[in-house]
Amino acid sequence: MTDTPMIDLSDVQKYYGDYHALRGITATIRPGEFFSLLGPSGCGKTTLLRTIAGFEEISSGMIRIDGRDMAGVPANRRPTNMVFQSYAIFPHLSVAENVGFGLRRLGLDAAEKTRRIGTALEMVGLAGYGARAAHALSGGQRQRVALARALILKPKVLLLDEPLSALDKKMREQMQVELIKLQRQVGITFILVTHDQEEALVMSDRIAVMFEGEIAQLADPETLYRRPTSRRVAEFIGVMNFLPATIVSEGSGRAALEVQGLGRCEVDAPPGGVASDGGTTVGMRPETLTILYDGQAPTDRSADGTVDEVVYYGDMTYYDVRLDGTDRPVRISMRNVFGRPVLNIKARVRVGWSPGALVLFR
Amino acid sequence: MKAPGLYGYTLAYLLFLYAPIALLPIFAFNDSVVIAFPLSGFTTSWFSAMWEDSSMWQALRNSMIVSGSTAILATVLGLFAARASTRHAFPGKAGIMGLIMLPLVLPEMIVAMSLLVALLAAGLDLSLWTVILGHVLICTPFAVAILTSAFQSLDRSLEEAALDLGETPVSTFRLVILPLVAPGIVASLLICFTVSLDEFIVAYFLAGTEPLLSVYIYGQFRFPSNVPAVMALGTVLVAVSVLLLAAAEYFRRRGIARTGGSAGGGFV
Repeated sequence: MTDTPMIDLSDVQKYYGDYHALRGITATIRPGEFFSLLGPSGCGKTTLLRTIAGFEEISSGMIRIDGRDMAGVPANRRPTNMVFQSYAIFPHLSVAENVGFGLRRLGLDAAEKTRRIGTALEMVGLAGYGARAAHALSGGQRQRVALARALILKPKVLLLDEPLSALDKKMREQMQVELIKLQRQVGITFILVTHDQEEALVMSDRIAVMFEGEIAQLADPETLYRRPTSRRVAEFIGVMNFLPATIVSEGSGRAALEVQGLGRCEVDAPPGGVASDGGTTVGMRPETLTILYDGQAPTDRSADGTVDEVVYYGDMTYYDVRLDGTDRPVRISMRNVFGRPVLNIKARVRVGWSPGALVLFR
Repeated sequence: MKAPGLYGYTLAYLLFLYAPIALLPIFAFNDSVVIAFPLSGFTTSWFSAMWEDSSMWQALRNSMIVSGSTAILATVLGLFAARASTRHAFPGKAGIMGLIMLPLVLPEMIVAMSLLVALLAAGLDLSLWTVILGHVLICTPFAVAILTSAFQSLDRSLEEAALDLGETPVSTFRLVILPLVAPGIVASLLICFTVSLDEFIVAYFLAGTEPLLSVYIYGQFRFPSNVPAVMALGTVLVAVSVLLLAAAEYFRRRGIARTGGSAGGGFV
């Protein structure tokens, strides 16, 4: 992997009249990376994608693609191609004509055109579908045609605008895997816009989580999940339990805390330290907590509590446990193993936990 | 059918609407100057009488010029208005579109009278062009309605996809937009032509000395001996009108089906 970024966004601002859609986006996307823009609807992720594609002018800032400033470069002259949310398959053309649409201006002879269309269709698993009418395709097939059509020009960057949101769950999961494989095969930089945190975690090398036109956190999926830098990111990605805490002392990147329900412990402090008034919040993922068997020794620390709610999922059970001395329950996910019965509501339990899995928010 | 009463009512209503039209061909082929039952025999002589009437041909020629020009002008104007209203937001849009559509419900008598007054006040001579002016005013709402539905069923990302794949805005219009709204354009041309051809009031008020087909037919009713020939002409016109409207609806539906929508409702 080289050091020159494929896409370099520097203080990108976008206004629609008075509405501030993008508030100073700065990020770099590496060549060959699977990059996701994740956020709730209205966070500006699609707007950002469209400014990279050239469908929207930016109000200020700079977008460079492969080192070249894109100011004033229209969409039809950018080295990017897009898979639209609606797929935008041309309904009056056949599958082959759709896929080969972008080749028109390359001045290829008919044989070369046919060869390239064939290769592209084969790549997305639609070999032999060329003569079909576009409107006779299923959702998944339209998606593949849109992919083949965008990839046939060998763009430097492929932009995907919520491409899987129109598919049912099973099809979506299958396409996720296929997209990852396809991206590895072609080696093109993919930028995916999605509001589905699970999809982003599954597919991406790195994820930018966006709220209200700003990037809240940009990191690889594991860091994003394990060490979210704000409560908002933590709540958006997966489930996070929060407990109030007070800072006892803080220094050299560590903080000593008194956590409600768990007691005193020492954790990593977020860069820049914590608010000075001493009150704060710690977060922990449901799977970092364990309900201990009777007599089982905790691997690290333990706390007592009462089961508030039981949600049985077959392979997993989610317990809401109210730790002694707290007023809101924490969620604990437990794998159901043979020989261990599911606990009842009101059962008294010991909860194993570890200070290393706690996230301290500023 | 759950209520036989309603079924009968529907039948009676449809008879009332269409039975008089069925009389046209019956008397067009009836071998008598008197328009009354019983029928006295079959003849095609009224059609040949109509065919040999030079003033009918003059009126037909005038009507073709007026209706053809009206269809083209109204459709071009409708194209601009439909494109603007479906793609862009601009201040006063609802009001402007409302005013464009208003002639659809405005009594034609008022349109004809006010145009006549305005034209005379402006010192313009009445001619086929003044009729075209009035007919464009009446037909543009039809064109806008048809073309708006054609543009609305066109997914905006289709245009963006073509741009994204390297086409310019002009070639995008030619390769993607035009083929997809073409059925709507054809439908609009046909409807506007038909509306203009059948129109009487504006044609009567604004045509000056040049008779149009509708005005000519009205004039023929003053001479009882000419009535059967008018019946023959009416028969031909009904056949042509039905044909044109059917063709327009066919193109409109094909357009919607092409862009992936379902052809529900229907304008005509």
